[in-house]
Amino acid sequence: MKASSTCKFSRVALLSLVVFFGFAVTTPVKEAESATPAAKAKAKTEAAAPAKSEKGTAVEPKLDPSDPSSVIYLDTSGKPAGLGDPNKPPSMAFQAGRGWHPQALSAAGLPRDRYGLIDWAKIVREKIVSPRFSLNPQDEEMPPLQMNVLIPAKGDFVDDVIYPHEMHTYWLKCEACHPAIFVPAAGQNNMTMTGIVQGNWCGRCHGKVAFPLTDCKRCHSSPKKAAK
Amino acid sequence: MTKRHLAALFLVLAMPAVALGVQAEIKLDDKLSSMKKQGHVGPVIYPHAKHEKLFKCNDCHPKIFKEKRSENNINMKANMDGKYCGSPNCHNSPKAFPLYECAKCHTGVK
Repeated sequence: MKASSTCKFSRVALLSLVVFFGFAVTTPVKEAESATPAAKAKAKTEAAAPAKSEKGTAVEPKLDPSDPSSVIYLDTSGKPAGLGDPNKPPSMAFQAGRGWHPQALSAAGLPRDRYGLIDWAKIVREKIVSPRFSLNPQDEEMPPLQMNVLIPAKGDFVDDVIYPHEMHTYWLKCEACHPAIFVPAAGQNNMTMTGIVQGNWCGRCHGKVAFPLTDCKRCHSSPKKAAK
Repeated sequence: MTKRHLAALFLVLAMPAVALGVQAEIKLDDKLSSMKKQGHVGPVIYPHAKHEKLFKCNDCHPKIFKEKRSENNINMKANMDGKYCGSPNCHNSPKAFPLYECAKCHTGVK
């Protein structure tokens, strides 16, 4: 009975020793393990702090709402948001509002040509829009040039073209076309339809921003006397 | 069987072949003098076979094109006015290439 009890005791003591030893060995390791991330985090915060303070020093002085480069007008990447103009809302919504809105455009009920495209010439003639002559209020308004040019078609069967300076000078100034695209002298521009299709002469605008070349008769409108 | 019979038989057999037969390309050079005035514009080589694949005979004949040479006064003004090639469902519509693509019909265009 005694012998067995001593045996048990020694076993318990040995076990407790092992447990204690194990505990003693593992705790410092755990401590070390737990210590490293903490240290890293500390280091991180230390590293981040000066960067933050640097940014702060760069931007902080500019909080003046009348200054376009002020922090309140910058987006997250530090670039000027919106228009960079304190008098206008510097929001993405405002920029989106300036975009292309096909539905709003169709709801406006603007006149269209037979291809379903907006007839800007008709809009001007019917005075549906009346844009300012210039963004600069000091600019003197220049009335459109009242000058139609008859451009004879080369073939015998195609109607001649009447080129209206009026509608073109309403939107454009002389230098937009002369002398780079058209030599300003009658008969000096050897225009051909193939050239126009390739983007020369009228084709610089028509088919791109102005009404398309498919609308033949909108330009070829003056009947030829020699037509058979 | 006489020669006449043979000839008649041949005709009877050959007629549908002519009626359904693939027409060759048709050269349209009636207005060559006018074309020459425009510089590098040559006669039109009309690909009948290409159009046969897309349309039935009576889509075009005889309403748009009379089936006889020199009966159709095809010219660019008429095309622009919606006749001949420029009929409202043809080369004056989004269904086919537009009239201003000169080189697609006229040969020798530079």
